Amino acid sequence: LPYVPRVPSVALLGKVTATTFALERPCCIFNQHANALDSIWLVVAFANATATFRNPSSRADVPPYKQLPTAHSYMTLEMAAATYTCSAPSPAILRVGSDTACRDQATQDPCNGPLPSPGPYRVKFLLMGCHGPKAETRWSRPILLRRALSPSTIDPAPTRHGSDVVVLISILASLGTVLATAVLGALGAKVWGSLCHQDLGTSAFVRRSYRTHHIPPALPQPLPPGCRC
Amino acid sequence: MAKSDDCMRILQGLLVFGNVVIGMCGIALTAECIYFVSDPHGLYPLLEDTENNDIHAAAWIGIFVGFALFALSILGIIGIIKSDRTLLLVYIILMLITFAFEMASCITAATHRDFLTPNIFLKQMLERYQNSEPANNNDKLMIEGVTKTWDKIMLQNHCCGVLGPSDWQEYTSAFRVTHSDADFPWPRKCCAMDEQGLPISLDGCKLGVPGYYNSDGCYDAISGPMNTHAWGVAWFGFAILCWTFCVLLGTMFYWSGIEY
Repeated sequence: LPYVPRVPSVALLGKVTATTFALERPCCIFNQHANALDSIWLVVAFANATATFRNPSSRADVPPYKQLPTAHSYMTLEMAAATYTCSAPSPAILRVGSDTACRDQATQDPCNGPLPSPGPYRVKFLLMGCHGPKAETRWSRPILLRRALSPSTIDPAPTRHGSDVVVLISILASLGTVLATAVLGALGAKVWGSLCHQDLGTSAFVRRSYRTHHIPPALPQPLPPGCRC
Repeated sequence: MAKSDDCMRILQGLLVFGNVVIGMCGIALTAECIYFVSDPHGLYPLLEDTENNDIHAAAWIGIFVGFALFALSILGIIGIIKSDRTLLLVYIILMLITFAFEMASCITAATHRDFLTPNIFLKQMLERYQNSEPANNNDKLMIEGVTKTWDKIMLQNHCCGVLGPSDWQEYTSAFRVTHSDADFPWPRKCCAMDEQGLPISLDGCKLGVPGYYNSDGCYDAISGPMNTHAWGVAWFGFAILCWTFCVLLGTMFYWSGIEY
């Protein structure tokens, strides 16, 4: 079949994670070949192992999830053919790797377990009837899963200080210096002045306000009219 | 002489006014710093764990400085009205000490604000959130504090991670050790919740379908209050200091002009 499975192009943040990925559900692809008893499997293989993969001849030969490390491929997501018909109402996304419960069980049932390594993987859909495979899609493009970095690679050091911080510090420092100098200068001048017994009126820093009684100069009094020499 | 008398009177009036303003600003500074110290947004555990809580210390200094400013302004008003040299000398010296403390508080708040980058919170979140192997008891308390704070932030602000939910995908984390990537691409608290506090659609949340998970990062919700805190302490303190500088210079001028 000419269909190529692909990761959905819709913007989904979780469509590719470190151990899972999502696929678009193929609709109406298998209508011509499938009857009600058939099942459709998803073949997941490492990208370099697709050439060596052979379709299993019967359901008993289906490679299970546990064989992925050795056989480099497995089949999962066994669904009835009815789920992929044109009128299927279920969601249009398939999630590969979403079942963590079956990972540890030793059963041979199809297990949609999380993928153990980042891949890259290629997938294809396989239509299996009672007598063996009946149809298959093309292999998808390689799907590479996310690789997570260690948090120790994060550098928490700050970028250089903002310019407003520098302005604030410099203004504050200059204000502090001016104040300190002023106080020291005032105190120093006072101490100097009292030590040297200087005329305080001439000191620049210490001023006294002289409160003088304003004595107007005596005006020449006119002689009383009675005094005549 | 009458002019110099007038000048002195005007200066007196101005200084009294200046001290009244200082007193009011002192009370405002105390109130503001008490508000910040009370941590209304519950972000203090994050700061405490990064060992970078100097802006907290700056706020504590601010409380005491504000109160000291208020008390000293009253002393200053009395000293100026009475024209008492001793009182004013005491006032000037104590004000200088307060000035120095407030300068320290401002500079600390301003410089340490720059340390609070997204990376520091990202690293802390990845290493601490739901960490199941604490090194000692103190570590355990810190981890619990960080986890509770992050859960609260993510629920209240409808956000996930520092820069987005992809933080949990791009980096391994202590959370990843106990929670598998297939089941928990990001913590459950990142899912959109219904009234009972359960995710609306778990599959939608895990796949990242828009509307079923919180796609924004929490950095704005964290840095917003912290910025307000730091700038509130730093710039208000700076404004008070500039005003105090002028008042102090005027007081020193006045002091030197008082007759014995």
